[in-house]
Amino acid sequence: MVQKLYVRILKYALIVILALISFFPVYWTITMAFKPFAEWTSATGKIFWAPNHLTLKNFKDVFPSTTGAFFSPIPESALPPLIHSFVIVVVATIIAMVVGVLAAYGVSRYKKGGQLPFFLLQLRMFPPIAVIIPIMIMWAFLRMIDTWYGMVIIYATVTLPFSTWLMKTFYDDIPRELSEAAVVDGYTDFEAFKKVVLPLAKGGIASTALFVFILNWSDFLIAYIITDKDWATIPVHINKLQTALVGQLYGPKAALALIALIPPVVFGILIQKYLVRGLTFGAIKK
Amino acid sequence: MEKIDTSIQKRKKLATGKSANMKKTTVRHTERFALFLVLPAHFMLFFIVVFPLISSIYLSLTTWAPMTGGGVKWYSAYKFWGGLTNYWNIIRDVDFLKSLLRTLIIVGVVVPIEFFVGLGLAFLFLDNFPGKKIYHSILLTPMMIVPAVVGFIFYMLFQSSGPINALLSGVLFRNVNIAWLQGKFSALISIMVADIWEWTPLMFLILLSGLMALPQDQINAAIVLGASRYQRFKRIIFPLMKPVMIIALIIRGLEAVKIFDVVWLMTSGGPGTSTETISVYMYRQGFKYLNWSWVTACGLIVLILVIIISIYALRPIRREEEKAA
Repeated sequence: MVQKLYVRILKYALIVILALISFFPVYWTITMAFKPFAEWTSATGKIFWAPNHLTLKNFKDVFPSTTGAFFSPIPESALPPLIHSFVIVVVATIIAMVVGVLAAYGVSRYKKGGQLPFFLLQLRMFPPIAVIIPIMIMWAFLRMIDTWYGMVIIYATVTLPFSTWLMKTFYDDIPRELSEAAVVDGYTDFEAFKKVVLPLAKGGIASTALFVFILNWSDFLIAYIITDKDWATIPVHINKLQTALVGQLYGPKAALALIALIPPVVFGILIQKYLVRGLTFGAIKK
Repeated sequence: MEKIDTSIQKRKKLATGKSANMKKTTVRHTERFALFLVLPAHFMLFFIVVFPLISSIYLSLTTWAPMTGGGVKWYSAYKFWGGLTNYWNIIRDVDFLKSLLRTLIIVGVVVPIEFFVGLGLAFLFLDNFPGKKIYHSILLTPMMIVPAVVGFIFYMLFQSSGPINALLSGVLFRNVNIAWLQGKFSALISIMVADIWEWTPLMFLILLSGLMALPQDQINAAIVLGASRYQRFKRIIFPLMKPVMIIALIIRGLEAVKIFDVVWLMTSGGPGTSTETISVYMYRQGFKYLNWSWVTACGLIVLILVIIISIYALRPIRREEEKAA
């Protein structure tokens, strides 16, 4: 169907406008992160749409050296929270993946597990705050408050619904005849799974892992409640700066926000194709 | 175990040529292997569900808090047995009811807007135009950003000397100086804007994949037969898209109820309690006033509401699942 030229231009303009709206907040964060003090402060009442004098000072301020050689407006370095986030999120993602990769195969191939998939779905629908206090009590009893393994267990469980459901959709795409043929040829069920199915599901596993990583990286509320000084993650650190005396330090905080948003955005763009599947629990497959 | 599944039956058929003994071992092996696959997941859920559930029912029936009676431990909470007092007080608590209502208002405003903008955008993306892939990535970016970071970004944007006021001043040709996050109503609007910005891409993505999956020949046939744009939408596109639309609305709706991070980073529920959502209310009760038994009771009420809603709401997903199986 051939559209009139002005209709096409209008449509294109609409897309450009929406893309600009979509990108502006990110653009603003980027510019703030590279602006010197005189440009990011709100004290002058002047707006700088683009940084006039690019600087890396904001990034340096976020990671003050502990030796105290120079003045830093931010008392705590963002380096430990960044490391905490990576350690907790990576380990939790690995656990959620191992458990999910197995369970999903059981559900997809053998229809095993009864109501497990829907139980997981239900789990996902609960607001975390509604269940966090009893979990806190339990964690305190097990001495897992403010520890990396305490966080890992919660994160792995919270994202298990996604790893299981997303992996299940990938297994469903693999023809069952392949593993059946392997069994007839003398493989055990486990060998058929390991040597035939898993290699075929490699792409799916990678995408699911990145997806679970994004979800874990994005959590704020659970980390805010369960961690304190020792294992605060990066969103908790950002919030800490929000409430402290340093409240108006837009520049350094924007630098920190930029660091926190890079990993999930990069991974998200890598797995664009499977985002719908993941977020709709496989109900919609492209 | 309760269901003899098709694969085992098939296996039995395959094995009929072999000895009866061997047939039995393969079936048992398969059974055991399948159990091994799902066991860790069951274990993990059991670990995180059973104790919290029991202790939360127990605590919700007391008036215990970590500081009551000079720090009585949680397991001795029966000393402050309250029966259903918490529940009775919660359903009459104005702050609780207001936060619940506020959450529903936010969901009721935000989800339809995200839906229609997402739908419109999805239709625009059916055509080909230069740079489509890049625009696609740009439009998806917001939903991948950490919600807490989104909260901070919009906190920055909505400052009275921030870019949103500056943009409005430019458009309206007069000096706009709104203290967005300090006004009761404007703070709520700011939060909604942040949420819409973050989650419209999800709607767009779901609806676009639904539109792309439509059978193109049917639509082309309708065009050849002279169906108008509106007729095509009403008779072909809408009925076929309905399941996808329902799934998009449900998933986004259930997620939107949980809203916390963005609110917390932008206003912390303020000014006063005017942007307090249900999650913020529970956080404040639990970690500012330490009313733990109160919050566990709130939590159970919210859980029951969520379970009731989601049993109905998740039906379409379940149906898709059964169709596939």
